[in-house]
Amino acid sequence: MSAITASPASTGPPPAAAPRRHLPFHGDALSRLGLLLLIGFLLVAVFGAWLPLGDPEAVNAGPRLAAPSGRLWAGTDSLGRSVLPRLVEGIRTTFLLAGTAVMVTAAVSVLLGMMAAYYRGLVAELITRGADVLFAFPALLLAILLAAIVGPGAPGALISIVLICSPLMVRVVRAASLSVVDRDFVVAARVGGAGPGRILLVHLLPNIAGPAVVQATYALSVGMLLESGLSFLGLGLQPPSASLGSLVHEGAVYLPIAPWLVLIPGTLLTLAIMAVNLVGDGLRDALDVRGVEVRR
Amino acid sequence: MSAETGSAAPVLAATDLVIEYSTRNGPIRSLDQATLTVGSGQIVALVGESGSGKSTLGMATGRLLASNAVYAGGLLSVAGRPVYGPGAQGGEGLRALRREVLAFVFQNPVAALNPTMRIRRQMELAGPAGREARDGSSAAEALGEVGLTDVPRVLRSYPHELSGGMAQRVGIAMALRRRPRLLIADEPTAAVDATLRAQILNLLVSQCRDQGCALLLLTHDLHAVAQHTEQIAVMYGGRMVEHGPTAEVLGRPMHPYTRALVAALPGEERPGRRLEAIGGVPPVLHAGCPGCAFAPRCPDALPNCRDVRPADAAVAGRTLTCHLHPGEIGDPSAAPNDAGRPRATEAGRRHLDKEQEAAR
Repeated sequence: MSAITASPASTGPPPAAAPRRHLPFHGDALSRLGLLLLIGFLLVAVFGAWLPLGDPEAVNAGPRLAAPSGRLWAGTDSLGRSVLPRLVEGIRTTFLLAGTAVMVTAAVSVLLGMMAAYYRGLVAELITRGADVLFAFPALLLAILLAAIVGPGAPGALISIVLICSPLMVRVVRAASLSVVDRDFVVAARVGGAGPGRILLVHLLPNIAGPAVVQATYALSVGMLLESGLSFLGLGLQPPSASLGSLVHEGAVYLPIAPWLVLIPGTLLTLAIMAVNLVGDGLRDALDVRGVEVRR
Repeated sequence: MSAETGSAAPVLAATDLVIEYSTRNGPIRSLDQATLTVGSGQIVALVGESGSGKSTLGMATGRLLASNAVYAGGLLSVAGRPVYGPGAQGGEGLRALRREVLAFVFQNPVAALNPTMRIRRQMELAGPAGREARDGSSAAEALGEVGLTDVPRVLRSYPHELSGGMAQRVGIAMALRRRPRLLIADEPTAAVDATLRAQILNLLVSQCRDQGCALLLLTHDLHAVAQHTEQIAVMYGGRMVEHGPTAEVLGRPMHPYTRALVAALPGEERPGRRLEAIGGVPPVLHAGCPGCAFAPRCPDALPNCRDVRPADAAVAGRTLTCHLHPGEIGDPSAAPNDAGRPRATEAGRRHLDKEQEAAR
């Protein structure tokens, strides 16, 4: 076998590379469902503002607390605002806020996690212990504390999500990096005179990208949940702007007489978080590093 | 071999180098006053059992030891520049030294390549910095020189798409990309298919010879050593016990440990004859060994072997570190206390002589 591979093998790529997957999440129906849902949500979030649904902040678009009907699909709230455009805006804000927070989280944690693995000693100690301290706080308590310090609003929610999602991601990235950093190709790069920057970005980052992306999707769902929780407590987005959580908050008072005000945004939030988690599971299975090594 | 300044200095000079690993159970001494010199362009083998300190010495040349390794004395300089000892540089100086002088070939060729990068990009990164780095044709040339066919396909492959032999050829090409002056090869053929070992080793040695690059070959494979290397250093317990021209040392091993290694060599034994294993296990040193590290396993040990450290002595064209007078062990058949071993040693020697002739 080895004699064959050493001699000219001009017959195209080896068979291991042949079965290409044309669709994402091959044979994983749940993850596909999640992906479809997520794409739907993202489309609404991006293009929803241009849909002819009316002004989300226009008061007296209809009678107050009107039930869903042919004209007002999701009914109206206590000020007579049409709920449907508010839902679309809520989806956009929730995804935007959580997404931004997760990108910041990912950038910070990936860098810190790789550094904690590459530089042993004091730097690693500081990073991991710092992460442990943050990790010890109950998530929502920390968020409320921050909202009290920074003041309610989007910046406070963003910082909360970053601080709550980072410790776990730092740990995951560090663990993944530790298994890579001592491998021969990293030593070879060091022999070649590569500095820390090149080793971290060129050699380490692509090798830990899989676990980092999977962790980022989970962080996205946690971020959406946190944002909603904060908004529900009145510490997140402030009226009149809407997020899914603040819509639930606004509707909660009228639960006995107008349950749709809570049920619709609540269901949407559940679906969105479920979609993100399903996609995360699918990514985890698809990017499973061990699977790749076995294939070799 | 170029006549540039500095080529007069040996590419690798270790003197009484002591390296310890700090572990939970106290320090483990891996190099115990190791002394080794590799001249410019020399092909040198470093042999010894697992745990004798070969790899530690190899990695120490680039200060690439694990983070729990502690330098505890002695000198190590590479191409005249100190790596351990007074005047040793860190930071940029160390990076420049690694970049300009050193290269490594590893045991597992696939692990030595970044799994997320195509070979072309890795060859570029391994190549000299600047304009040439973007030049795909020079990467292709380098791969052609190591005997790879279908170079374009290899260039666009990921490491897992290559066989072990191909990956090791790529590894050799990458290592030699910057024209290093010292190549450290740590068991470069151990993970390669047995049928390819000879080819890969031939390639490694001939490429080093062509470039005038010194090669330090860390290995267990005495057959390969006999075929390819000019000098051999036998290591035991973190120390050189015998060091000299390969033909002399393997042809007439003088240190009891070297003799035992040669006797343990699978050679021309007839069916039914036992291979001679070396009794006992290699030592784990927690501090400097007061005497000779091999004394507990040595069949010829003298009373002072365990307590008094033998000095290096020039004997019969080699450096020998042993208390036994050469006269007492020089003629194996004269040794009265081991009946089976001399013949096995003879067999191993004849076998090695034949291989050397075949190599010429």
